[in-house]
Amino acid sequence: MTVVIIGGFLLRIPKLSILEHTARNLYYHVPMWFTMLAAAGFSAYHSYKSLRTGSLIHDIRAEEASRLGIFFGILGLVTGSIWARYTWYVGQGIWWNFDPKQTLAAIGVLIYGAYFVLRSTIEIPRIRARISAAYNLFASATLPLLLYVLPRQLDSLHPGAEGNPAFSEITHPLMRLVFYPACIGFIGLFYVLYTQRVRVAQLKDQLAPQWEDD
Amino acid sequence: MMDWLHGTWAIFEKDVRLELRSRYAINSLLMFVLASMPLIIFALDRNNIGMREQSALLWIIILFSAAVGLGRSFISEQERGTVLLLQLNTRPSMVYAGKLLFNILLILSVNITALFAFMFFLQLSVKIPGLLIVTLLLGAIGLAGATTLLAALIARSSNQGALLPVLLFPILIPLLISVVHATQTALDENSNWNAASEDLKVLIGFAGVTITTSVLLFDYVWND
Repeated sequence: MTVVIIGGFLLRIPKLSILEHTARNLYYHVPMWFTMLAAAGFSAYHSYKSLRTGSLIHDIRAEEASRLGIFFGILGLVTGSIWARYTWYVGQGIWWNFDPKQTLAAIGVLIYGAYFVLRSTIEIPRIRARISAAYNLFASATLPLLLYVLPRQLDSLHPGAEGNPAFSEITHPLMRLVFYPACIGFIGLFYVLYTQRVRVAQLKDQLAPQWEDD
Repeated sequence: MMDWLHGTWAIFEKDVRLELRSRYAINSLLMFVLASMPLIIFALDRNNIGMREQSALLWIIILFSAAVGLGRSFISEQERGTVLLLQLNTRPSMVYAGKLLFNILLILSVNITALFAFMFFLQLSVKIPGLLIVTLLLGAIGLAGATTLLAALIARSSNQGALLPVLLFPILIPLLISVVHATQTALDENSNWNAASEDLKVLIGFAGVTITTSVLLFDYVWND
């Protein structure tokens, strides 16, 4: 992880028009997304398990995964928006441009926000687990439609969209040497945070006075 | 199967009868639509609203009234203490289907009221009536499909007032994009059915996805 961060700042990158040194952001911005997707996947899977088995440990896992999903999602939005501000919109001062991927990510963050609001309103852990898992799965089920609808409505600035070079054409082999470990590193960081948080939440749960189930 | 249809119809009929007795939901929904008309008229320059704005405003009003009015469908069962009775006597899928039918009916009446209000106050003129009817119908089914399960979710939580819009709106974005575009197409005289075919496909897909997942998840939400 440390090597990736140092490498991201120091290694030589190919000079491209517009992008120039901001391309270093590739090492941080893109892995954030992969991490958010991984977190969403974890969270949906554990929501499903929680409905199936009814055990609270899966609920804790789903909760912590979506908390970290929000965290990385916001980081990705912030890094992406700064990146766009200083490349595509230099001189225009636009921070937000309704790119499909940006919008999708923002909606993802909104859904997880709603998920936590829902959780906070239910007090009995067993019911909270069931209800929030149902919402999580319901929201996840509608996401593919969004993926289908949005690109037709909005123009994209991301690589691979119309008129933009694909990812493989603009990346130098040396950049990939940093980029791939960065992806693995961020997902690894997510996994470490995730397991630690789950452990803490579990311990808190054991120490807290048990709820009388009705 | 006949048994299932019978049970579903019984729940639907019960809701309609209760609604006709109190007229709580329907009155508040229709008044919501009518009360928001002056807001639009005074907030915007009413001679200068384009087709895009008309269709967007129409659907935003429909979504908000759905978020305000449909949250009650399961809460009322809890307040009257009839949840246990329904749990004992019927299968969860029957309850879901009956409530879904009732919500579709409510949203359709809202859609029609809103449409006529727009035609009357904002000179909305429809060029392809068939497309508009199909859009309103599919929109109502999709909206009811998404709202019914969420209404069941919030009936189990303690903060029931403001919760439904928070849960509902992020999910409804694909629906909103498609219905607004399809409605705009129906208002445009230089347009035809083909221009909206993609939107109609999305609407059918949205209704299908929400209703299917709701049926799968409803057992877990409804039973203790």
